[in-house]
Amino acid sequence: MTRAARLLRLGGSRPLPALALALTLVAGGFAAWAGQDWYRAAHDEQAAYAVQRDAALSAGEQAVQNLNTLDHRELKRGLDLWESSTTGELHEQLASGRDEFAAQVKEAKTVSTARVLSGAVTELDDRAGRARVLVALRVTVQAADGAKSDKDSRMLGELTRTDGRWKLSALGQAPVGGTSTG
Amino acid sequence: MSTTRHHINRQRRRQARETRPAAPAGRPEGTERAERTPVPTGRRGATAVLEPAPAATGDSPASEAPKAAGRRPRRRPPVLVLLCALTVLLGGFAGWAHAKADGLRSEPARSNTALTDLARTSEIKGQVTKAVDRLFSYDHTDPGALDKAAKDLLTGKAVDQHRELLADVRDRADVQKAVITTTVTESAVERIDGDRARVLVYADQSSVATSGKKGTAGEDAAQDDGVYAAAMLAVDVVHRDGRWLISALDTFGR
Repeated sequence: MTRAARLLRLGGSRPLPALALALTLVAGGFAAWAGQDWYRAAHDEQAAYAVQRDAALSAGEQAVQNLNTLDHRELKRGLDLWESSTTGELHEQLASGRDEFAAQVKEAKTVSTARVLSGAVTELDDRAGRARVLVALRVTVQAADGAKSDKDSRMLGELTRTDGRWKLSALGQAPVGGTSTG
Repeated sequence: MSTTRHHINRQRRRQARETRPAAPAGRPEGTERAERTPVPTGRRGATAVLEPAPAATGDSPASEAPKAAGRRPRRRPPVLVLLCALTVLLGGFAGWAHAKADGLRSEPARSNTALTDLARTSEIKGQVTKAVDRLFSYDHTDPGALDKAAKDLLTGKAVDQHRELLADVRDRADVQKAVITTTVTESAVERIDGDRARVLVYADQSSVATSGKKGTAGEDAAQDDGVYAAAMLAVDVVHRDGRWLISALDTFGR
């Protein structure tokens, strides 16, 4: 800076405005660069895709956990949560089988709690709003007599985006040994 | 509009040059300028800076020079202040925009390139699938294959984890003369962060005992046709020398 100032003083008759102008131009250059850098960062398609991926995964994990959690003392709340976590065919299935299922759980007096061990997205079509997830789940079922049992589940879920929110549209367990021998 | 005016001006100037001895006082433009120039000095502001060229055609240049010199020193502070303010403003914006861009780039979603980098994602999936198939399969007639797989595909603490996990299976398989085959059925990359990644794997394990002693080896060897077991595990991998090596095995406490 000081050298530039000296040069300007040597070269021109008006060092101060020239120096100020040079500084302004430099600042303008930085501003232009930073501005377009910011614009690019904000309009990065890969980043938008990554955000969708994470949104789908967290919604998927939460929904799978919800659908494996049910307390016979709070059936209404639990089943409402089931319905709000799902969409499409799965939603219709749950809604239509609700009363029957509620009666069964009331009878059995079980409390199921699920914990997500791990989850990952296998496919994501962010335009169509569809995703497929793997969720490793540990379900603890407490029977009426208080005995607890743990069971691990390998869940496969399909998500559909409705009104900007990811919801489960299909859920099942990964089949075991289905392919090689019948 | 302005171009035709320019044209007219140029013609007039040329005419003026041709008839220099005769004073240009009679022309309307000349009078207009002659009237304007003395008046404005102070109040005209910055627009006056743009006008030195036509001014040269008007009256004698000698009378213009002192005026310009008189005007400049009075205008310098505002211009300087303006430039300084602009510098500060632009600099401020640059810093702010840079911080914004940095903030966006450091979002956790962006540092994870699982699925966004499709080539890398499928490369990892493919290599992990093959590795898990090999590492959890065992043939009692070829025990060396498992050791070789462990040496090829494992690194760090995964070496010990794998040995512990397989020790039991190995002993049992040797007794039963069994062949254990593991097949990965589903896998998904949870996260890729540079040269590290984590993959969730679902696998089926079948064991076929080839020994003839049915039922005598206890319930473990109760059946000698295919027995399938469902397994799920998460593996951490690191990229080394162009290959993905397993650095940790997570069986979720099982």
